[in-house]
Amino acid sequence: MKLRLNPDACIACTSCVVQCPVAEATPEFLGPRMVGPAAQRFRLMGSGEDESLHYCANCKNCDISCPHGVLISTFNMMARAEQARKGPFSLRDWMLSHGAFLARALGLLPAALRNFGMLNPASRWALDRLGVSAQAPLPRFAARTFRRQLRTFAQPDASRSVVFFPGCYVDIYDPQTGLDIVWLLNRAGYRVIVPDAFDCCGLPMIANGFWEDARRNAARNAEELAGWRRKGVEVITACPSCALMFKNDLPEYFPELADSMEGAAPTDAQEFVLRLVDNGELPLPATGAPLDIIYHAPCHLRAQGLGLPGLELLQSLPGVRATNANAGCCGISGSYGFKKEKYHIAQRIGQRLFTAVRQSKAPVAASECGTCRVQIEHGSGKQCLHPLTILRRRMEA
Amino acid sequence: MNRTDVIVAGAGMAGLLAALAAARNGRTVKLITEGVGSLAISGGCIDLLGYVGGKAVEHPWQALDSLEAGHPYRILGRDRVHAALAAFEELTAAAGYPYTAPADGRNRRIPTIMGTLKPSWLCSPAGHAEALASARRVLVLGVEGFKDCHPAVVVRQLKRYPEMAGKEFTSAMIRLPERQRRRTLSPLDVARFLDTDAGRAWMERELTPHGGRYDVVLLPPICGTHADDGARQVLSRALACPVLEMLSIPPGVGGLRLREMLCGELARLGVTLVENATVSRAEVTNGRCTALVTTAPDAERRHEATEFILATGGVLGGGIATEPGRARERICAIPIEMPEDPEQWSTPELFAQHAITSMGVRVDAQLRPVGPDGAVLLRNVRFAGRTLGGYDFGLEKSGFGVAIATGWTAGSLA
Repeated sequence: MKLRLNPDACIACTSCVVQCPVAEATPEFLGPRMVGPAAQRFRLMGSGEDESLHYCANCKNCDISCPHGVLISTFNMMARAEQARKGPFSLRDWMLSHGAFLARALGLLPAALRNFGMLNPASRWALDRLGVSAQAPLPRFAARTFRRQLRTFAQPDASRSVVFFPGCYVDIYDPQTGLDIVWLLNRAGYRVIVPDAFDCCGLPMIANGFWEDARRNAARNAEELAGWRRKGVEVITACPSCALMFKNDLPEYFPELADSMEGAAPTDAQEFVLRLVDNGELPLPATGAPLDIIYHAPCHLRAQGLGLPGLELLQSLPGVRATNANAGCCGISGSYGFKKEKYHIAQRIGQRLFTAVRQSKAPVAASECGTCRVQIEHGSGKQCLHPLTILRRRMEA
Repeated sequence: MNRTDVIVAGAGMAGLLAALAAARNGRTVKLITEGVGSLAISGGCIDLLGYVGGKAVEHPWQALDSLEAGHPYRILGRDRVHAALAAFEELTAAAGYPYTAPADGRNRRIPTIMGTLKPSWLCSPAGHAEALASARRVLVLGVEGFKDCHPAVVVRQLKRYPEMAGKEFTSAMIRLPERQRRRTLSPLDVARFLDTDAGRAWMERELTPHGGRYDVVLLPPICGTHADDGARQVLSRALACPVLEMLSIPPGVGGLRLREMLCGELARLGVTLVENATVSRAEVTNGRCTALVTTAPDAERRHEATEFILATGGVLGGGIATEPGRARERICAIPIEMPEDPEQWSTPELFAQHAITSMGVRVDAQLRPVGPDGAVLLRNVRFAGRTLGGYDFGLEKSGFGVAIATGWTAGSLA
């Protein structure tokens, strides 16, 4: 894997400056060009860190817009790791980036109690004091995790298998989306395997500076991915951020692990399903009732260079009219928009999208990313579903 | 799944116009892009032809014939260049942000934040330099905190031009409401502030004392970031005279407005966008391209279509690859004729003609690549914008003109 971590590849053209949603929302952020490649030159000289680094949401719009392939967000995340190593420990950042661990630790309690424990006004007040905004739409724990539900989910016999990397959001908060995907894959003749060995992809840890924790997870996941690759079983994920972590970020942050992974990054589940449809393995319904859908393309999906297969799937469904909201970042960026000092920035960033969703005549929105969906529902008041959930519902109708 | 008729690579001005033209013809279009394209950071004025042979051009349409035969304008012919620019005017008017040509057929001379005059052609109302030409009393306004725009310097520089003789220049500064800020203020920041009601109200208050005292007011490009001319109209009313924006270094704001409008059109027409993807090569069988292959860190992807338009820029944009003594178009690996001695690629004089600034793919009248003998190399691939050879947009001031003419034509033919 050739690293492109050369700050001098930046020609200071300002493309990233005009596209950065955070720089647009707050003048406190110096912007991707200055905090990324420009500051990197000073970092290499051992000079101090720019104090606005923490504003970077790691949304990747700088990387998407850069005409010269400069890995701007990577500079920022590496600098953040360095800062976290030196700086004081943040309990808030640790909690927000270790959701999988917390969920396992709390898993012994019934969900109702967990939700009450986390979401009651006193807890929200305490969390707010800790730095998790009381206004932020913290998702509710599901009664039973996706993994647990899958154990009792009767899958039909099938000759082919596919491995599903659920990601923390689907596993802990949104198992139904995971079950919808399993249903679709079963329908196409695949048995779905969800290995216990898979852990959080590590992206939230990177975004919060917990570099070593991310590396530990990356190593565990890379080994498991490579194993399935050797067995010839394809691994897919429906979470754009997990996919991005394995495909783009992991090779940049931990090149030695990427080598051991042997290019076994998970396939985008929407791309996989689109292929099944193309091959005739998953026939789409011939008709369907009219339905308008407004679609939001997650930034972490756009960054993968694979287009928008989820939107393409929706658009190929009879009766469905799916339009791209084309309204920029939703603002949440994983854990970013839940932070007390970032909540209002995240809401400002999402305003264009919220307005587009509200003003659309579509009764429902769609997006692949779990936290984008949380943010869209919070900001627009409309329900937002995973495209594959919609696909399942249309096929069952 | 969804059949693609036309694939366009590159989302600069040429690529966007190619995708638009094809989509408006009812074609299914996929647009593949690596970065955001330089339109986003430009001033957004459409140059047609500003200089030929180092001399300023007054009537660009008349000067078109004096260009060399291999120039993209000559290859297309005047009618098709004209048709493309007319289509652009129509398109922008329909979208509510009209770009128009000067009525007298002469290049507009648009002031810049350096106090120079730049020849240009199609402009939004913010670039209607006619208002400066006919004005007697001119106010040049700056914003405190801008590093790159100093009204007093602009005035001193503008006064060097004979055509500015007899004008009364005044310079003044305005101040943003006191706000702690970490970063240096740029026109883009102020433009975004003027997108808001609070920003417009502040600006109106600041400008009202200057109202009625001038025939024209020059500002840095701060009149909002949306293609609606709204902020500029508010300021024009407060000042009771036309307000013009000076062209600025990147980010130029004007291009951002235009790009937002064009991308909105593309979304409306259902053009599929593949972002952050590098087209690494073309698959070719029997003189026809069958697919473009993109490379991402995880995998290669094939993108099939029946027609292809490559608008991937020049050396800087990544459309042309160079090595000592050799140059080639990057995706189809079309050799570009260059002197073997790299010393001959440029000349010591910066503002002179250099081989490297006008090198590019040679094409036929349908914009398909041709070899040295004139034979068509790929029958369903067309080139547009800076990847083309035979012109030097920097010297000529013809960049967006060529991009629109070749992009629109390529899209219409595809």
